Amino acid sequence: MTSQIIEAAELLQPMFRKLQQRDELGDEEKRAIAEAADQRLVFAPGDDLVADGSRPEHSTLVTSGFTCRYKMLPNGSRQFTAIHLAGDFVDLHSFLLKEMDHSVGALSHCTVITFPHERLVTISQRFPHLTRMLWLSTLLDGAMHREWLVGMGRLSAAQRTAHLLCEIYLRLAAINLARDNQFNFPITQASLADAVGISTVHVNRVLQELRHGGYLAWDGGMLDLLDLDRLKAFAQFDETYLHLVQEPR
Amino acid sequence: MPRYYFDVRDGDGAFIDEVGVDLPNMDSAVKEARKALADMVRDALREEEGSEISILVRDGADGPILITVSLSTDSLS
Repeated sequence: MTSQIIEAAELLQPMFRKLQQRDELGDEEKRAIAEAADQRLVFAPGDDLVADGSRPEHSTLVTSGFTCRYKMLPNGSRQFTAIHLAGDFVDLHSFLLKEMDHSVGALSHCTVITFPHERLVTISQRFPHLTRMLWLSTLLDGAMHREWLVGMGRLSAAQRTAHLLCEIYLRLAAINLARDNQFNFPITQASLADAVGISTVHVNRVLQELRHGGYLAWDGGMLDLLDLDRLKAFAQFDETYLHLVQEPR
Repeated sequence: MPRYYFDVRDGDGAFIDEVGVDLPNMDSAVKEARKALADMVRDALREEEGSEISILVRDGADGPILITVSLSTDSLS
């Protein structure tokens, strides 16, 4: 292996862990992904990784940091449809959908690796199980969208906020990037408001409610879920939709 | 941009805003407060908490502005 491939393999660990939470990955499959990796790019908060309306020729895998999948409306308001973490392929969509119908933006400093679409074609021809695992990752995106949609329609703003924090903690913990009910969450309240679908003023009120209720502390980027079980109950959070079960797929 | 603070009073009590939001002027701060009230009323009506929600918008320069929504249930018989 060249040093470049070894470096890619290092950065790919969160993605491997994410997939291996759901099924085993063979060494050949891991090598195929590492060999398909192309450029390593760095983004600052507020940058777009992928722009709405573009036709990317590569798909982007987040290797560190927080990103959001979002739509910007003509009136200037923004709604997130997902938050993506290290190990998430944010626009595997563009591989087959071709034209982006939404944007992906950086919420924190983040690093990504790009995968040219023609190399993903090769993977899909040579590695059927790995292809199913990539398919699985877009199905997980869909499962999270469903959960968010139900929350938007049926949960209160405070419950949606709590639900989102439970989701992010469990997803980070699954790839060893969080433990002891704590994680670094360096996003602004305005971003949190766009994720939950409320105004910044209301998100501030909601966070005070969750702090006063003894559910969380959030200082200097570090979010501490003080009573995860109670927070889950409050948010009516059921982790089934994250499919954190290892089985043949 | 000046920073505006939004103190919320609802069925759960008073929440003093210590963070604030940077906005161009008081007009946009009032618009922001109205949007927030719309969100809050949606939840309050479902959770039946409190009969009145208000937001006091304050900054260093202008006098504070109070926006209030009252939720009442009256028997008409």
